[in-house]
Amino acid sequence: MTEPSDPPPVEHRVRITSPRTGARPHVRRTAREEIDQSTAVGEVYIRSLMRAQLRSALGILLVLMATVGALPAAFAFIDGLAEFRVVGIPVAWLVLGVGVYPGLLLLGWLYVRRAERTERAFVRLIQPGSTTRGQAGSGQRETQADR
Amino acid sequence: MNATYGVVAVVLVSLATLTIGAFGLRISRTTSDFYVASRSVRPWLNSSAIGGEYLSAASFLGVAGLVLAFGANMLWFPIGWTAGYLLLLVFVAAPLRRSGAFTIPDFAEIRLQSNAVRRAATVLVVLVGWLYLLPQFQGAGLTIRTVTGAPTWVGTVLVATIVVINVVSGGMRSITFVQAFQYWLKLTALLVPAFFLIRAWIGDGAPGPGAPAEWTLPFHAPSGPDLYVVYSVMIATFLGTMGLPHVVVRFYTNPDGHAARRTTLIVLALLGVFYLLPTIYGALGRIYASDLIDAGRVDAVVLELPHRILGSSGDLLAALLTAGAFAAFLSTSSGLTMSVAGVIGQELARSGRLRRRMGSTALGERGGISSVTALRVAAAGCVLVPLALALTVQRLPVATSVTFAFALAASTFCPLLVLGIWWRGLTAPGAVAGLAAGGVGAGLAPLVRTAIDTTATWRMFVDYPAAWSVPLGFGVMIAVSLATRSRVPTRVSRTMVRLHTPEGAHLDRG
Repeated sequence: MTEPSDPPPVEHRVRITSPRTGARPHVRRTAREEIDQSTAVGEVYIRSLMRAQLRSALGILLVLMATVGALPAAFAFIDGLAEFRVVGIPVAWLVLGVGVYPGLLLLGWLYVRRAERTERAFVRLIQPGSTTRGQAGSGQRETQADR
Repeated sequence: MNATYGVVAVVLVSLATLTIGAFGLRISRTTSDFYVASRSVRPWLNSSAIGGEYLSAASFLGVAGLVLAFGANMLWFPIGWTAGYLLLLVFVAAPLRRSGAFTIPDFAEIRLQSNAVRRAATVLVVLVGWLYLLPQFQGAGLTIRTVTGAPTWVGTVLVATIVVINVVSGGMRSITFVQAFQYWLKLTALLVPAFFLIRAWIGDGAPGPGAPAEWTLPFHAPSGPDLYVVYSVMIATFLGTMGLPHVVVRFYTNPDGHAARRTTLIVLALLGVFYLLPTIYGALGRIYASDLIDAGRVDAVVLELPHRILGSSGDLLAALLTAGAFAAFLSTSSGLTMSVAGVIGQELARSGRLRRRMGSTALGERGGISSVTALRVAAAGCVLVPLALALTVQRLPVATSVTFAFALAASTFCPLLVLGIWWRGLTAPGAVAGLAAGGVGAGLAPLVRTAIDTTATWRMFVDYPAAWSVPLGFGVMIAVSLATRSRVPTRVSRTMVRLHTPEGAHLDRG
């Protein structure tokens, strides 16, 4: 028989608490409020948006430099490339006079698609449940497809 | 060439321009109408207007002329002018629209909160505008002389006059209609005759150009200077487009950032279609009009080809081409004048307000001038300098001389816009130093080139400065900004929210 006053030999839990009355109460802000109040979290939202957009832009720039930008050097240094003819027309004229333009348009289209997708994701992030108001119809259709 | 048809074509285009301009007048009332068409222009109308404004004499006449004279390597000019829109799209279009500024000086002030940057940008807008207007006015003179035999000053003065009337009466709204009309006119004017010319050429048995290999093949004999020139042209045109005042001002007329992107995408398509055509004229010119090279009139090849190939039955086609060329001068000159006048007009109106606030009314009790009046005064004023230059300065091939304007814009406004939009560290002193360095580098080139021995090897660094002046502009802007880190604008975080967040997000944009 053990005495009820005996302390249990092990497993005595001591709750340690602190009266941290000076600490700020935890406030839940929405992402929108974080940004509007320029908090550190809000800064992170904006910086990540900017970084994503800049990455898309630099990606396009790199592709442009690696393709169109490399053409002069390619024609100058690869023997026989410029002389190569398709249906009697030197390939240089076909590439520089015709082929480059659809390529530029394609790059532009890819960029717009990606940039707008990034922006829709940003709007969903800071305004959950909101429709992407203020955007044109094509954008909204794509939003639904994304989901 | 039959002068009557040509004169009728010029008169018709001029009348149409003035009429459409007057149509815009009835609906332009407020300052916002005047400056940016109340920011309500739809993407298709706006893209046609951008295309109409952008395709200048250099595109309509100049590219074919250069291809006639120098062959395959000149195809880089139109490629650069198109790729410039791609880079504008990815780095600048949407943030620039979202900045809510009217002009580049406005953007500089919003982003950097500095009057010094604003003033530096204003001076550069005027300089770029003048450099670009000069070849337009000279090209108009050449066209009128080719068509009618009248002295060159007639066409120059005629274009300058119509432009001023147009801008003074209607502002941007009417200009938007005029520009959109002129894109489609220019495209038709090159497309229809090209069809007939190619048919006649095939009927001739499709003769080859009989040109030497260095014309047919790019870098037939690869040389350092050739490569330097091509890459320098590439840098100037790829990066200069975003800094041209008449291009940038168009982005403020979009309803929002998404529309700005869509507009730019359509522009890429419109330019790509258009630039297929000058190459055809240049190549046919080498076959049928190669004597123009020795005559030093390569810019006239587009206008002369119908007569050379089809004889007098080509007169109507020649008249159509004349109309297109004239549309090119009118639209580009109107757009440039509008944007330069917009910048000067705002400065005038600001200093007027400032003086009134200070109490010293230099302009009498009424004090200052309204911004619409300021715009009108500025429009008339800012045409006079390039007009005087056009009548006195020696003429260069038009595509070459607009490249100076591209190089200057690429060395100054491109760093300002790109760094201003994507880098928080940009400071006002950095921006001013970069604008000055890039501006002096690229701006001196057209001034000193006439004084330099044409045979000097280093001449190309003066003729094509962009390859070194653009890195200089960027480098100085970054270095001085880093050295003046304490001067980073306090509101930069709020400005970045405004530039980069889509309109659909309901945020405090400052």
